[in-house]
Amino acid sequence: MIIVVGAGPAGLAAAKSAASKGCHVTVIDSQARGGGQYWRHQTEVYGYKSNRSADYLNELQQNKLITHITGAQVWSAEKLGDGYQLNYLQGGVEKKISAQKIILTTGAYDRTLPFPGWTTSGVMTPGGAQSLLKGHGVVAGKTIVVSGTGPFLLPVATALATNGARVEIIEAQSPLRWALSPLALLLNPGKFPELIHYASAILRLKIKVSFGSAVTGYNDGEVDISKVRSNLSIRKKNVRSAPADVVATGWGFLPDVTLGGILGCAQTLDRDETVIFAVDREQRANVQNIWIAGEATGIGGADLALVEGAIAGLSAAGSKISVALIWKRFTKRLFARALQRSYPVGAGWQEWLADETVICRCEEVSCQEIIESVQELGAEDARTSKLFTRAGMGLCQGRVCSRNVSDIVAGTTKCAVSRNERLAASNRPIAAPISLGVLGDGIAG
Amino acid sequence: MKSPDAIVIGAGIVGASCALSLTNAGLNVLIIDRGSVSSGTTGAGEGNILVSDKEPGPELTLALRSRDLWFEMQEDVGDYFELEAKGGVVVARHDDSALLNLAYHQREHGVDARVVGQAELHNLEPYLHPEFHSGVFYPQDAQCQPMLAAAHLIRTVISRGGQFVSQAKVTEVLVKDSQVYGIQTSKGKFLAPVVVNATGTWAGEIARMAGSDLPIAPRRGFILVTEPAPQYIFHKVYDSDYVVNVASSDADLQTSTVVEGTRSGTILIGASRERVGFDGSKNIEILRKLAAQATSLFPVLRDVQLLRAYHGFRPYAPDHLPVVGEDAQVKGLWHSAGHEGAGIGLAPGSAALITDEILGRPSFMDASAFSPARFAMAKV
Amino acid sequence: MSNDISFFFNGEKFTGTKGQSIAAALIANGQRELRRTRFGEEPRSIFCGIGICFDCVVTIDGVANQRACLIEISSDMKVESSL
Repeated sequence: MIIVVGAGPAGLAAAKSAASKGCHVTVIDSQARGGGQYWRHQTEVYGYKSNRSADYLNELQQNKLITHITGAQVWSAEKLGDGYQLNYLQGGVEKKISAQKIILTTGAYDRTLPFPGWTTSGVMTPGGAQSLLKGHGVVAGKTIVVSGTGPFLLPVATALATNGARVEIIEAQSPLRWALSPLALLLNPGKFPELIHYASAILRLKIKVSFGSAVTGYNDGEVDISKVRSNLSIRKKNVRSAPADVVATGWGFLPDVTLGGILGCAQTLDRDETVIFAVDREQRANVQNIWIAGEATGIGGADLALVEGAIAGLSAAGSKISVALIWKRFTKRLFARALQRSYPVGAGWQEWLADETVICRCEEVSCQEIIESVQELGAEDARTSKLFTRAGMGLCQGRVCSRNVSDIVAGTTKCAVSRNERLAASNRPIAAPISLGVLGDGIAG
Repeated sequence: MKSPDAIVIGAGIVGASCALSLTNAGLNVLIIDRGSVSSGTTGAGEGNILVSDKEPGPELTLALRSRDLWFEMQEDVGDYFELEAKGGVVVARHDDSALLNLAYHQREHGVDARVVGQAELHNLEPYLHPEFHSGVFYPQDAQCQPMLAAAHLIRTVISRGGQFVSQAKVTEVLVKDSQVYGIQTSKGKFLAPVVVNATGTWAGEIARMAGSDLPIAPRRGFILVTEPAPQYIFHKVYDSDYVVNVASSDADLQTSTVVEGTRSGTILIGASRERVGFDGSKNIEILRKLAAQATSLFPVLRDVQLLRAYHGFRPYAPDHLPVVGEDAQVKGLWHSAGHEGAGIGLAPGSAALITDEILGRPSFMDASAFSPARFAMAKV
Repeated sequence: MSNDISFFFNGEKFTGTKGQSIAAALIANGQRELRRTRFGEEPRSIFCGIGICFDCVVTIDGVANQRACLIEISSDMKVESSL
């Protein structure tokens, strides 16, 4: 038996390909329905081409070789003989599942950058706005500014507008940056119809789009929009304001690397210093019998996740990987690289902050406190700053702020963030909160 | 850079206390650390300043003086490190005779140890499991935020003319004719006739660099941290097994629980200890055992969620006493290490002993029980 | 069969649709503020929407710090924003 952790595109593709070779697969996921954060359970969504999810979701439900465990939060994992045991919580009860082989497809979540007013209710991530809409049928607001950088802003903005919201897009980067990646465009011709789809939707829905700008403040139902350079530093502050009852702001994605970290899988830094897993040609981690696919090996979107998932599933099933599949992954990875080049997130955002701007939302630690921990108390890295200020020690365990705290500390010491600091910041011994009662009782049986 | 009178290696709480004490005695001090402030065991500490867990003897004398010195340091440096005499409550699950006997002897040595019955115990800790019917209340037990404390002590040292060089790994202890005269580090050579080794679990390594020897080994201790919760716990509360455990040299895992709340609302559950070398691997069984023990003390914690767990490596000597004093073979090399889980609590007292000895002035106690020479004598 | 489910938020009765998360049902009802923060007493709502950020935590039937964006409403559930 093979366990696939995660039921997003990578997980579903892994399950499908492993099952196609006759393997029993158990897909374990935290949501009530399959599809992951991007597809969710929907087969007809507003994003381009998402209807292909139908194939995979049908497979998940109908293939007798595939079992689907839903609503399960894996909180810890351990090596057990020559296999692995995952401990998970389902409906408040702790359970375990074990297998010799594991495929991790734990996905990603929105990366956010702080700005004055970003803790006001009404500011959320594009993923949050999308989950409200796709998962729960709720349009987050009436007048929505979608801001940040990256192509994910497009399906979110068009979906919100299709459902009646007045939407404006504030994209920090210039579309001309795509000229830096001609080969990636050439090898991914399938992306052009997608672009045309969104461009026409934007025109049809009368969505206003600005480039080279960012939301650098939010107050009293109005966003402040500044002109920014490609490293996100301010070119011209507060050039205009716009009404918004919701601001959906996202700066690409951060992979969820917690579970693989607990299992000892080697992590590395992507070109943009995001912590990802190092995998080989067949998506194998450096730990025996663990494969990793999708965003956790580098942010690349659903297309790349599907290919990586298929490769991982075949490899775990002991099958040969075709050259065609490897080539396909190569072209998708090239495109993922182009995404990084076209939508970089530089450290210039620190110019947007006020002294009192909250950086750690959980423990309410301000920018000033982090800077003082360096200047007054001698913190030289995020770990020490955290011990002094409690930034990153709250409920989310630094998932939202730790990268930003590292950058602010580095901005103050004027020393670059070390590779070790980046890697250590993603190390969390417990993947999801568990009540002490349940933990102490242990697993029955 | 002015040549210092003394070099303190280690920017944890033990080194910071030494540096401040020496500075206040008029010496010019240089602090060196291979990382930054509090980057070793201090950064993984709970901030225990306990007298309740010490049996009568030299360690208790040191603990009592140390505890008072903590409050004197606060006067000196400022109220920046959450120092609080929150008090300790020790309960016995089954037979309370050992606990009551300990309290009796502690009282004879100046510890404020008040035996409390059922009503008073549950008045002190309303959420404690009703099966506990007696305990001992130790009002002197205190707590601080050790990382902030180390940082502010070092800040004060610097403001009084001392220096701090971080990210400097010691590569050599310079000794001539059995007398230390400085250290070589990754950031250069520093000379001084006095070198204090306050490097905790790494103290043995520094001693070896000087051609000496110090039997300090690491002992792993876990701490569980919960989500912020309403105030359920008002003191440091622990099972009397903890006292037995601290003095154990059994290498296998032993756990007994210390539970306490913090100012930020999180609850700390600590005190598992096992001797495992520097193995950083986690063990889910330890987490389960600590959680089970904590919830058996405080059933209300069953619904409180665990957020994270971390471990630190506590330095200890074979006889479980700290090592405070001049090296047996190398003149001018002083050790303050091996405080195990009590490093925060014992730091200022140890610093006072070292300072008094270096200056050749009388001290508050006879420190021969802590002398590094005791291991050399044991060998003979 | 009706898909409507009623539940309580800070003592007030709200109605949502079966399958909706607590956060979604409250936002659909125009109730955006889910809690106040511990130190600054600042209002907070949904942020990441997928269970990562813990900004939307509420007390559900007496159990604190539950993520309103993940947990579906159920009949007569008592949701409170106090810690």
